[in-house]
Amino acid sequence: MAERKRRNILDPAVADLLAGMEEKQAEARLPKREREKIARERAKMRARKDHRVTYDLPPELKKQVGDLAEQMGVAASQIATYALIQFLQSYQNGEVDLSKFKVPSRSPRYEWKLVFPKSLLESVKKKKV
Amino acid sequence: MFIFALANQKGGVGKTTTAVTLASGFAQAGLKTLLVDLDPQGHVAFSFGQEKTAGLYRWLVMEEPIKDVVQTVRPNLDILPSDKNTEKVKRHITLMDFRESLLKDHFKRLKYDVVFLDLAPSLDVLHINGLITSDWVIIPTRLDAMAVDGVKEILLTMGEIGQKGHQFTGYSILPTFFDRTTRETITQFQEIVQTFGERVLPPIPQDTRVREAPAFGQTLWEYTPNSPAITGYQNGKSKAGGYQQICERLMEVVYG
Repeated sequence: MAERKRRNILDPAVADLLAGMEEKQAEARLPKREREKIARERAKMRARKDHRVTYDLPPELKKQVGDLAEQMGVAASQIATYALIQFLQSYQNGEVDLSKFKVPSRSPRYEWKLVFPKSLLESVKKKKV
Repeated sequence: MFIFALANQKGGVGKTTTAVTLASGFAQAGLKTLLVDLDPQGHVAFSFGQEKTAGLYRWLVMEEPIKDVVQTVRPNLDILPSDKNTEKVKRHITLMDFRESLLKDHFKRLKYDVVFLDLAPSLDVLHINGLITSDWVIIPTRLDAMAVDGVKEILLTMGEIGQKGHQFTGYSILPTFFDRTTRETITQFQEIVQTFGERVLPPIPQDTRVREAPAFGQTLWEYTPNSPAITGYQNGKSKAGGYQQICERLMEVVYG
């Protein structure tokens, strides 16, 4: 019978950090040629860094973007790019009012947070693309 | 009112820096916060550029009202300072009945949203009072064998207190002075994560500017808000560690 191992539920930031440190430690033990290959790959990724960003999105919205990208056979990033251009244009033209979603935040970093009503997200979900 | 205690019987692990930074972080977020210095060294007042005073002694022994002994050091943030007179508090408490719950009884009268207790690196009656008063214990630790041993010691003490009937809501272990480039850090980090799992908070990166801030009487949020100790490591696409993230984690503890 396979040995059962107790599962530890870690803080996600701790798990990521530890995994990264262990990966680096393992890399240090690799032959020089492999280390160089990894360094080249890392340099490539670093070069793309300015194009990359991480935002937390509601899962259903993420799925909508993914589904549309799949349906059109394009990258989700390009759908997101177009969506953001549209939003920023609308915002700059005064067609979007974010203030109605603003509530005070308890975070020491942010004064406000935007709380969107469920109906807003559901309105996108209902319309099949 | 939710009470955090910062405890580790090992000295020099970052208890006071953590207490000062977290308390000011919570106060900035709009919570009415009290930071209590239970250490006769009195470094909480010093960290805010204030004189050490016998606030704790006057409150617990002289029975003066809290409003007369606290110092308001920032908006929403009061401190109850200590100085060498805190040693007399210990002697006073030792002679009392119900000596282990004196601090807890005094806290029943207070009206703050959050309280942070900065405990001294010792195992005396004031330290036990601090633990008994707290809902949640934060155990800062350097990642070296002696400090990690201090974590085990404090957990044993908490276990003994638990057997006497006090229920802690929980505890967290906070790695401080974290230097991710050294092999010893990785080894010790792996060990505490293996042992304590979800109790381990994201670490506070080693940062020289942390040592400079008290000399200017400023908190880290004021002195160096973009330093790694506040913002954490850029770990791939996300951030890991730093007091900003710890404040967010502890807000979840308080508010769920």
